[in-house]
Parts: sequence; structure tokens; C-alpha cells
Amino acid sequence: MSFSLPPEILDLIVDHLHDQPDTLRACCIVSKSWVPRTRTHLFAHVEFTRESPVGSWAEAFPDPFDSPAHHTRALTIQDHQSTTTTGADAGRWIRTFHNVLHLHVNQHPLAPFHGLSPTVKSLHLKFGRARLSEIFDLMCSFPLLEDFTLVVHGYEDDPDGWTAPSTSPRLTGSLELRSVAGVDPIIRRLLDLPNGLKFTEVVLTCGKETDFKPTTDLVSECSNTLESLGFVPLFHGEFPSVPVPD
Amino acid sequence: MPDRLHLAAHTTTSFNLSTAVKLRRLMFSCGRSGVRWITEALRTVEPKDLQDITLQFNHTSLMHGFEGPVRQQWEDLDRLLVRFWTLHSICPKVVYKVGSERDIRDYASRVMPELARRGLIDLVEYNY
Repeated sequence: MSFSLPPEILDLIVDHLHDQPDTLRACCIVSKSWVPRTRTHLFAHVEFTRESPVGSWAEAFPDPFDSPAHHTRALTIQDHQSTTTTGADAGRWIRTFHNVLHLHVNQHPLAPFHGLSPTVKSLHLKFGRARLSEIFDLMCSFPLLEDFTLVVHGYEDDPDGWTAPSTSPRLTGSLELRSVAGVDPIIRRLLDLPNGLKFTEVVLTCGKETDFKPTTDLVSECSNTLESLGFVPLFHGEFPSVPVPD
Repeated sequence: MPDRLHLAAHTTTSFNLSTAVKLRRLMFSCGRSGVRWITEALRTVEPKDLQDITLQFNHTSLMHGFEGPVRQQWEDLDRLLVRFWTLHSICPKVVYKVGSERDIRDYASRVMPELARRGLIDLVEYNY
């Protein structure tokens, strides 16, 4: 006599194993019926690195429309090498991660991630040098964005100026800016966003005394929502440098 | 749209927090070259909902030498933090990187003697 658990109970059991990847992998080979729920946890966080690039993913899941990318809620692109190894195809594979909530990108260019998932709530960007318009274009492609982190060693302003978009994300969560080159131009851009800023937490780690004035303006803009503010100055040189990736 | 460059009073030596009416937590990182900017920022705070003031001691070099104007700046901050305690019951928290708690406590007691005398320095180690 065959015996089977109701699928809801099975799902509950698998959910309890969400933080045990080895056990989840073992579950996958027990029965085909166990695979879908197991995948939601196994692929909830995907990280592409030099050692584990997008190319490996493409080899494992040759059909992008039948891959478990839609289960992924947190996607991390660790460095440039993690996407360049697959050449032009990398963008095609990246775009299959369309249900991501938390996006971490530590590489250029940012274009492949533009509008990746309409549900992105937190965006973390970290790199050595970047163009501000590229950063803000990416940010504004996520309408539900709440949290924004930018760690950048230096940046290039746009010689022809920048036109603020017609709409901008919610920005109701946390803001963390870290740059030895100062955060003034970044805050100016944020203040230009049409839907305003409603951050509840702000942490600024910055390298110039000229950052006091924009900090005042940022606090003023978030005056009705801001509950927590951290300020870490780097401009006297007595603190260790901000760690910045290659 | 209002001109946001003129929403708040301009100051070149610190920032103005007077508009932040829901502020509950503040964290400042302290350096040996001065804390005047912290004192000035705190003077603009509306402490209605404020619960935490955290001072982060970031570097072991803080342990060595502070004389002249910097000592005066610490004394001003010490006095202001005592007022936050007496008027609003806000006790400052001093966080420091993993190291000798005794050294940090000695240092904190030297730069903020009045807070130390009242036993108001809450030391917390952090490691990240």
C-alpha cells in the first residue's frame, strides 16, 4: 500500500530545513515531488563569483526558462570575472533572476541589471569607481526600492549634467553611503529625485568636510521619517581607509 | 519644488539635526583630531524621542595624547552629554573595536571625566 503525505505537510517539513543546504540537497534525490519546494530554499540566495561564474549556472541549467532562477530572492554578483566568462550571454542569464528582492552588485557595467526585477527592495552597490548617472539609472529602474547602499571609492559626474527621472523609487528604508571622495554629489542626486526621500535609517561614511552641508539637507528632506543617523568621518585621516573592492 | 539647498541652516563645521523630529538613535565616530562637530550636531537635536547616543572609538591611536584645543572639545562634549543625561535620561554608549576594555575605559574616563565620575559611560565591544 502506498503512503504519501499531503503536499502542504511536506512543504512545511522542507521549510524547516531552509538553513540546511546539505539536507536540502539530499531531499532533492528522494523524490521528484520533493524537488520544487526544496529548490525554493536551495536557490533563495545565489552568488556569482570568479570561481562560480554565471557560466557554471548556464551549464547546469541550459534552458534559461526552465532554471530555478525564479526562486532566487537574493542575488550577488561578486566581481567582474563572474559575468565576463560567459561573454555576451551573461546578460541573458542574469535576466532570468526576475523575482529578486535583494540585489548586490560589485561590478561594472550595471546595464545588465537595469530593471532586473520589479520587486527589488534593497540594492547594494560596491565598486572602486563609477559613473553617477549609471548608478542612479539603475536605482530608478526599481520602483519598489526601499534600501540603498553605495560603497564607492570615487565617481565620475556627468559632464553634460543629469536629468532626474520622471519617477523614483519609494526609498523608505535605509541609506548607507560610503566614499572617501565625499558623498556630496550623491546626496545632491538623491535630493533631486521627484518622489522625495523617506529614509528611516541613514549611515554616512565620508571623506570630506564639505559633506556636512549635504548631510543637513538630507536630514531635512527625511525629517518626518528619519529615526537613526550615523556619521563616520574619514577626513582627518586617523581612521583606516574604506575597504574597496578591486 | 522648493529649493532644497536652503531648507536648513548652513553650517560648515557640523550638520544641523533640528528638523529631524523623529530621531531616536545617533551614532558618531570619534577621532583624535576633534569632536567639535559632534557637540555642534548634538546641540541642534530635538531630544523629544531620542533614546540612544553612540560614540564609536575607532582606532587605537585615540588612546594617545590629546591636548590643547582637542582637550577643550572633549570637555565641551562631556558637559553636553551630562546635560542629555540629567535633562533627558539619555546615557551615551561608547563602542570600541575588539581590544582592551580597560584601556578604552581609561581613555574614555580621561576625555569624558564628568560622565565617568557619574558612572554613565556604557562600554560595548564590537567586532566587524
